[in-house]
Amino acid sequence: MSLTAATINRLSVNEKMMKALKSVFNKITNALLLPVVGIAIFLALWSITAQSIHTSLGEFPGPNAVVKQFYSLYDEHTAEREKATAFYERQEVRNAKKLEKNPDYVVKTRAYTGKETFVDQILTSLVTVTCGFLLAAIIAIPLGIWMGLSVKLNSALNPIVQIFKPVSPLAWLPLVTMLVSAVYVSDDPMVSKSFLTSLITVSLCSLWPMVINTSIGVSSIDSDLLNVSKVLRLPTFTNIKKIVLPASIPMIFTGMRLSFGVAWMVLIAAEMLAQNPGLGKFVWDEFQNGSSESLARIMAAVVVIGFIGFLLDRIMLLLQRKVSWDKSSASV
Amino acid sequence: MNWTQSINKGLKKVSVGIALAISITGVVQSAELGEPEKEELKFGFIKLTDMAPIAIAYENGYFEDEGLYVTIESQANWKVLLNGVIDGSLDGAHMLAGQPIAATMGYGTKANIITPFSMDLNGNAITVSNDTWKKMKPNIPKMADGRPVHPIKADSLKPVIEEYKEAGKPFKMGMVFPVSTHNYELRYWLAAGGIHPGYYAPHKGDTSGQIDAEALLSVTPPPQMPSTMEAGTIEGYCVGEPWNQQAVFKNIGVPVVTDYEIWKNNPEKVFGITEAFATKYPNTTIRLTRALIRAAKWLDDNNNGNRPAAVKILSQSNYVGADYEVIANSMTGTFEYEKGDKRAVPDFNVFFRYNATYPYYSDAIWYLTQMRRWGQISEDKSDQWYKDLAAKVYRPDIYEKAAKSLIADKIISASEFPDFAKETGYKPPQQHFIDDIFYDGSKPNAYLEKFAIGLKKGDKL
Amino acid sequence: MTTQNSEVNTEITTENVFLNISRIDMEFPTPNGSFTALKEVDLQINKGEFISLIGHSGCGKSTVLNIVAGIYQATKGGVLLKNKEVNEPGPERAVVFQNHSLLPWLTSYQNVELAVDQVFSKKMSKTEKKDWIEHNLKLVHMDHAMHKRPDEISGGMKQRVGIARALAMQPEVLLMDEPFGALDALTRAHMQDSLMDIQKELNNTVIMITHDVDEAVLLSDRIIMMTNGPEATIGEILEVNLPHPRDRLALAKDPEYNRLRSEVLTFLYEKQRKVEDIKDKKPAVKAEAMTIVEDDIKEA
Repeated sequence: MSLTAATINRLSVNEKMMKALKSVFNKITNALLLPVVGIAIFLALWSITAQSIHTSLGEFPGPNAVVKQFYSLYDEHTAEREKATAFYERQEVRNAKKLEKNPDYVVKTRAYTGKETFVDQILTSLVTVTCGFLLAAIIAIPLGIWMGLSVKLNSALNPIVQIFKPVSPLAWLPLVTMLVSAVYVSDDPMVSKSFLTSLITVSLCSLWPMVINTSIGVSSIDSDLLNVSKVLRLPTFTNIKKIVLPASIPMIFTGMRLSFGVAWMVLIAAEMLAQNPGLGKFVWDEFQNGSSESLARIMAAVVVIGFIGFLLDRIMLLLQRKVSWDKSSASV
Repeated sequence: MNWTQSINKGLKKVSVGIALAISITGVVQSAELGEPEKEELKFGFIKLTDMAPIAIAYENGYFEDEGLYVTIESQANWKVLLNGVIDGSLDGAHMLAGQPIAATMGYGTKANIITPFSMDLNGNAITVSNDTWKKMKPNIPKMADGRPVHPIKADSLKPVIEEYKEAGKPFKMGMVFPVSTHNYELRYWLAAGGIHPGYYAPHKGDTSGQIDAEALLSVTPPPQMPSTMEAGTIEGYCVGEPWNQQAVFKNIGVPVVTDYEIWKNNPEKVFGITEAFATKYPNTTIRLTRALIRAAKWLDDNNNGNRPAAVKILSQSNYVGADYEVIANSMTGTFEYEKGDKRAVPDFNVFFRYNATYPYYSDAIWYLTQMRRWGQISEDKSDQWYKDLAAKVYRPDIYEKAAKSLIADKIISASEFPDFAKETGYKPPQQHFIDDIFYDGSKPNAYLEKFAIGLKKGDKL
Repeated sequence: MTTQNSEVNTEITTENVFLNISRIDMEFPTPNGSFTALKEVDLQINKGEFISLIGHSGCGKSTVLNIVAGIYQATKGGVLLKNKEVNEPGPERAVVFQNHSLLPWLTSYQNVELAVDQVFSKKMSKTEKKDWIEHNLKLVHMDHAMHKRPDEISGGMKQRVGIARALAMQPEVLLMDEPFGALDALTRAHMQDSLMDIQKELNNTVIMITHDVDEAVLLSDRIIMMTNGPEATIGEILEVNLPHPRDRLALAKDPEYNRLRSEVLTFLYEKQRKVEDIKDKKPAVKAEAMTIVEDDIKEA
């Protein structure tokens, strides 16, 4: 009797352990193994298909060629940095000479004039997308809140928002370019025109998801919460700060994440078309170069663009989790 | 801050002797030439091998020697580049010879663009698709070894075009810009072979240049030429290097004629800046011209001995970016026509020899005659009008200052330059055109009368 | 407390009405024309009185409450509080909402603080405010969890915080819209006892909506029974003269209590028998009470 009970007991212990093991195993499988398998299969397929595609620029780049290009892009970057150091040294010598010749000469150090490396282009793109996105957010969130609070404003602006939302950045770009050229005239510009053009284009395209989500978030706040505010007779600004903004944060962040994704995609397109510095220009330049390495370099850029897009989304998600009270809204 | 001022200031502080000593030692290099007014500059270019003087002036430190800190940026197409110079986002650029002329004339965007420096001679070619080449080839006379006799004339293309016409299909070709050398060269070649390339009629709003055309020409940016032809949109194109050699490498087309064969030592690109820039920053203008002259000279020195090094620089992704072999094909004195048919063309790219860098009025006038010939200038103009416009755009005076200071600095000897005392800016009448017509830059209207196809005195569309 | 009681007495003797709901009508516009929810609702309430509104769903109880709160404006008639017309919400008429309505991103303490900061912004020092917030949370027995956020506490606890917030405003009238409707029976009993304790101490003027007959009899001084809508109005008013303090166990056997209870039931289930499944046209539809087992566990 007791023996069987012990057996049963042991069995159940074993079963439990098995179950626990299984669940751990499942977790590992889901979190690690499956993605790795997925990536491996993708790489294999890519490798095989690449070999069988012959373009006029040679074989389509496989994973190997792309990895090789990453190294060479990095080498180019370090080489360019060395050139930059030499540039500054030469400049120092030249400035010293000038100073000797003319004691009143005010020494000025000019920024390195060499090419933008891949790493520089990535940084340029990141700075542009962040600035463009922030500009859009500064406009979109207050506007969205206002639209969410005022039914009248919402009805007035909604058609405009709906019409502009689906406009491709490529359509905005020429207008923005001409506008910037016409309006932004300065002998000693703080930022370059191309930066401004990219920035405004990005803003114009990433504005709408934020406006829409914010206004929906605000207009769908639980009426009880607004009644609380009414009972307390909170002044408009306090109402927005204490009730409206926190209550709609989850929706605002959903909009911001969407917008950031849009902003990144738009930026690459804008840089490509307008030849504004950044990853988009890198891709376009390589396409135009048409060298035997161009395709692999473009593919390397594609991987980087995707990876950065993914990272940006993750950063927004983390931020959302940090800021938002509603953790369920911040799901993947 | 020029040196006389620095002396005056120095006098107050130290003894005359020391001040003079400083001023003398400090000024040897740049006698008479002051510091650049604007030191940070941005130049634009299109990915073509003839942008080489700009790249070399940068890489060899010639710009820095002049105290210029130059950023070089590739541009999407000629229009973007021109707009960049006009709106000031670019300080100067590698331009089609026709661009400053057309801009000053007001054909397209009106702006006073000048050129103190001619960038190169020759360097273009006409390439046709493999398919067209197959049809052309039987019409071309052969040499003993079976290779086609050069130069190949458009006569051999004519039957192909007739064939297209009969089938009711348009025969399309690409060139890089309405006022580009390539447009005029392609038209010259086609017309010399009896193929009408079409007229422009800007006064009627027709800027497509396809009136009466047997071959329809349209604009494609240089780097996109090979892929556009590969896609079947065009049957051929006229473009600079490396985009003809690229077609050979990619096996998508065959270059049939170089512009050297259409017009021996024809002027190609120029370096364009706005007139306002030259007025506002005279020292900068002279200094950048000096740097470019030095670069051009370096490119041709040692009997093209520096070319491999130049090709290496050009193949960097931030300059032309094509493979070394592709660029080297034309830059090192050879040119590959049909795959394997590599011929010596030592003067395919000339940067300095034959006074290539001097901005001749007669070169500007040739472009103007072609603009008139194809209707871009819609009505008759006097010979004087041609000369005045040329003098407005082409600025040998700036070139002369730069050259003389280089001579004074003993960087380049006077014998390398035209004799400035006698130079009029007009080359003696030139022959060596594919149709054997003489060109005298001082008589543009008379020149226009010589063409079988093209607008003549009194013609108006 | 004694002063308050004496005031109540004075008011009664002078027949000065503290809160006067004066013949209000309420119409809501609908796509099919206007819908009359309330018709001629007329009620006078004295200071310190505990009033229950009872009636079937859709009879307009919440509408009455919202009009007193100032969230709705009556179509006809009006509400006077101490002879002043009510036309907007305000902290002197604090509301305890059915679904607690705590701001989910604030802790219990911060939720009360929001109200205190607003109502006593200049009248109290920082430390006084802190003491006052803590005092009110202690009153509802929530001092142990005052730094927890709403999603970390049970439904009953949330409702306690909601009451603390309302009390902290020191309202003239406390309006409660089915405050315990969403709670399970056991929690609800706890809450009722707490409310009776608080009421003993503060002697507030209260209007409470309820569905629960026992709750109404247990807590109220008067029970207002409403007829079914549309055009709902006051059907009967029942005086509850049971002595305070009331004890639910003792009352269970009390004949007076049972009489009152059966009167309400008679009203509801004989006189105003409601045929269910009538399309409820009232815009604000409150969820039916539901039993949450987890609440039981948490409260225990």
